[in-house]
Amino acid sequence: MGIPSKDRIRAKLKAGNTLVRILLAHPMHTGRAENESGELIPAEFIQDIRCWRNDREVLTIKCGTATARNPYFSFQLVGGQQGDTIMIRWVDNLGAKGSVETTVK
Amino acid sequence: MIDKLNEQRRVLIKGAISASTLALVATSGLLLPQQLLAHWPTDAFSAEAVEDALLALLGQADIADNTIIQFKVGAPPSYAINGASVPIEIQSDLENIEQLLVLVEKNPFPLVMSLELTPEVKLPFTSMIKIAEDSQVIAVIRAEGKLYKTTRFVEVDIGGCA
Repeated sequence: MGIPSKDRIRAKLKAGNTLVRILLAHPMHTGRAENESGELIPAEFIQDIRCWRNDREVLTIKCGTATARNPYFSFQLVGGQQGDTIMIRWVDNLGAKGSVETTVK
Repeated sequence: MIDKLNEQRRVLIKGAISASTLALVATSGLLLPQQLLAHWPTDAFSAEAVEDALLALLGQADIADNTIIQFKVGAPPSYAINGASVPIEIQSDLENIEQLLVLVEKNPFPLVMSLELTPEVKLPFTSMIKIAEDSQVIAVIRAEGKLYKTTRFVEVDIGGCA
């Protein structure tokens, strides 16, 4: 837990709905790229992202290697009010995990 | 007599070695992600054709094109300078969307992402994806058991699937 998470999440009300924006800090290596010395960089990518609103799971995103580096997602949740908790948890193919949460503004 | 003893010893040593190797493999992190992510659809994400990926995920590959999905790829639309991060936006008035897929036909593995939505989630959905070369990009939505598909052609200056 020593390294502070660079994942970001923002949630705000927009015309009665909750707009959620997520930016995760992850290299998303596909396993086909080479580094400077010509060796293959092993695959390392986020596979599973889950989103909770107030302890209810609302969305699951499953990613392949073709999701861009530092994955960005935005979507809306129906309704919602200020102070709702929005939480994201992710797992990559090597078993690394992260989570980030915010309250709706 | 001594020969027989030796033989037994060998069997014993062999057994011990294979048992400890097994234990090592089982406890190392190698097997962990598969166990954790048993629900990650490996078949679909490692399929090399759009049809195979759709079959693996939805059990059906033959979907008629439909204009009910508004689908934007690239900025300006249908064009991307850098294939390593191409913005996509999917909007639709469909209700009760259960699943949303994004596929890029010419990528080594076409399936980019698969979303499972609850009725609480509302489109538009936006994200960034990698596109290897000029290709058709496909969005598939499953809503109330029906499948809808929209296809867009995107021109890419620098391929981005390395």
